[in-house]
Amino acid sequence: MNVLIVEDEKALAREIAAFLKNENFLCDLAFTGAEASEKIAVNLYDFVLLDLGLPDYNGLDLITEARKNKIDVSFIIITARGAVEDKVKGLNLGADDYLAKPFALVELLSRILAVARLKFRITDPDIPLGDFVLETQARRLSYRGQEVDLTKKEFDLLHYLVINHGKVLTRQQLYEHIWGNILDDQYESNFIDVHIKNVRKKMNIHAPAPWLETVRGIGYRVSTHQD
Amino acid sequence: MMKLGTKLTLFNLLSKTVFAALFILLLPFIIERINILQTDNELIRKREDVLSIIAEIGIEPFITPESEKEFGSYNILKEEFISLEKTELTEDWNFIEVTQRKIEDETIDYRVLNYSFQYEGVTYLLEIGKSLASISNTHKNIRKVILVFLLVFITVTLLSDIFYTDRILRPLKRVIRKLETTSTPALFDTAPVITTTSDFVQLDTTIRDLMTKTGELFEKEKEITVNISHELMTPISVMQSKLENLLLQKGIDIVVSGQIEESLRTLHRLKTLVNSLLFIARIESRQYLKEDTFSVKELVKEVSDELAPIAADADIAFDEDLKEDFLFRGANRTLIFSMLFNVLNNAIKNSSEHQHIEIKTVTAGGRFSVIITDNGRGMTPKELDQLFERFRKKLNPNQDSTGIGLAITKSIADFHDTVISVVSKPGEGTRFTFLFP
Repeated sequence: MNVLIVEDEKALAREIAAFLKNENFLCDLAFTGAEASEKIAVNLYDFVLLDLGLPDYNGLDLITEARKNKIDVSFIIITARGAVEDKVKGLNLGADDYLAKPFALVELLSRILAVARLKFRITDPDIPLGDFVLETQARRLSYRGQEVDLTKKEFDLLHYLVINHGKVLTRQQLYEHIWGNILDDQYESNFIDVHIKNVRKKMNIHAPAPWLETVRGIGYRVSTHQD
Repeated sequence: MMKLGTKLTLFNLLSKTVFAALFILLLPFIIERINILQTDNELIRKREDVLSIIAEIGIEPFITPESEKEFGSYNILKEEFISLEKTELTEDWNFIEVTQRKIEDETIDYRVLNYSFQYEGVTYLLEIGKSLASISNTHKNIRKVILVFLLVFITVTLLSDIFYTDRILRPLKRVIRKLETTSTPALFDTAPVITTTSDFVQLDTTIRDLMTKTGELFEKEKEITVNISHELMTPISVMQSKLENLLLQKGIDIVVSGQIEESLRTLHRLKTLVNSLLFIARIESRQYLKEDTFSVKELVKEVSDELAPIAADADIAFDEDLKEDFLFRGANRTLIFSMLFNVLNNAIKNSSEHQHIEIKTVTAGGRFSVIITDNGRGMTPKELDQLFERFRKKLNPNQDSTGIGLAITKSIADFHDTVISVVSKPGEGTRFTFLFP
């Protein structure tokens, strides 16, 4: 997939690009609004990651422009100005998602993939995990057809790890994904550990799940299929 | 402490009462004085009348120059008398005195005018008297009239004082009400209070000016906070992405990756701090929407369900008593969720194994409350005092928070006109009560 990263902070743009390239995206960079406007008009992108605080442009104008020229591209706004009205305005103009800086790169990836699934009408496949199956459509985990009784949060946690399989996710990355909307100051919370422990307990009733690994000192990882 | 209006009324009443009491005390003397003056005037007038009659018709009808007889006349009730007699006085008499007279075996006190005059070479003494009993009679009547008048006067003036004081203080009351209903300078009603009292105009103008200035300063402070926060977010973002990319590198050393994770954690802490400041600045400038209508009971249940695994893991039990419910209109559900979440999470952190946390919904006096009680560590009065302060000192050195969670809780409650009260005793536990509007 083709992605244009519109971000005046060059170091950040490069880091995002490095990460996405690793995930097999084709990345292009634009450091100013004018540059972005030109690139969007000329090239075909699937996604534009758009920083609103550009030196020469109101980022939202780029969305208006693209929509006017009937360019079919998905916008994901990434901004440090996490004001509510910015978010509402952006989404009203036709942005597909909105991410406040600073965000975890894995979170950005999961948002891009979610937009992509909608955009390309990809139905979420069921994901086999040993003898378990993560039924993403039904939002449940089953063991040989029998449902494993996970809470919503436990399912979300497992799902997020599965989407990012092969990568070690830190507790903060997981916490932010699951409880990101709660204004809290639990920066060393044991929430994730407790939930993982409970997920493991519930799976262990059926069978051990060695694919859900604890990476000591860092976090958790799901290693399955191709990994 | 007393209201100005009440004070003025009380003062009015007191001053009038003191005045009236003094007046009543002095009344007998005053009336007596007036009576005597009046009586004396009357006696003098009568003397003049008698003298003019004598001048007109001569003294013979009363006393002949040769006769030794003296003339005397009094009315039936012996209230007054006039007597005329020849006298051998060598000096002139013209004075009024109180003397006793015996009339028909009755001794009566009289106020008597004694006047000596010469008529055709003979000296006569004229005495005109008025009985003291008749004087004190009028005295009593006057006293009654004055007392009734005084009572009516005090009542009427007191009522008019109350009415006028209330009228005149009305602009002041309006200023006070405006101040009472203002939770933040930005929301102060800057329309001037209409009044003809210059002191109130000055007070109102000064307060409005102050409010405007304070409001501007507040705004500026918030703007600075928001701007600094935004500026900080970009470098944090760059660092976080760099570290995350490093962590994702294949074949990275386990020790190094541990260190990277630690750096990420520190960065996360920084981010949380900045975000919290940003949040408080935003909520204080009312940038959040309040458009949700929801059942608080359901929300409490959601919060408790969310935290139940954490509590269970620490072997802490929730005792739920959620009978009462409240439909909260015009609120922000996500924010109220955070508010309750923070406090319940705090309760878990301050409790130890086998302890219970009580979560209750109550309706009392028409107001709905959520009460969260733990039997945990509790707080000293000093800790309780600083509870909602931003970046207060950590209550517990092992506590893994930035110390701003409860400041956030307080801002959310204020934003929703919800009153938080906390009762705590060291070693016994803490109770948070959220009194909803």
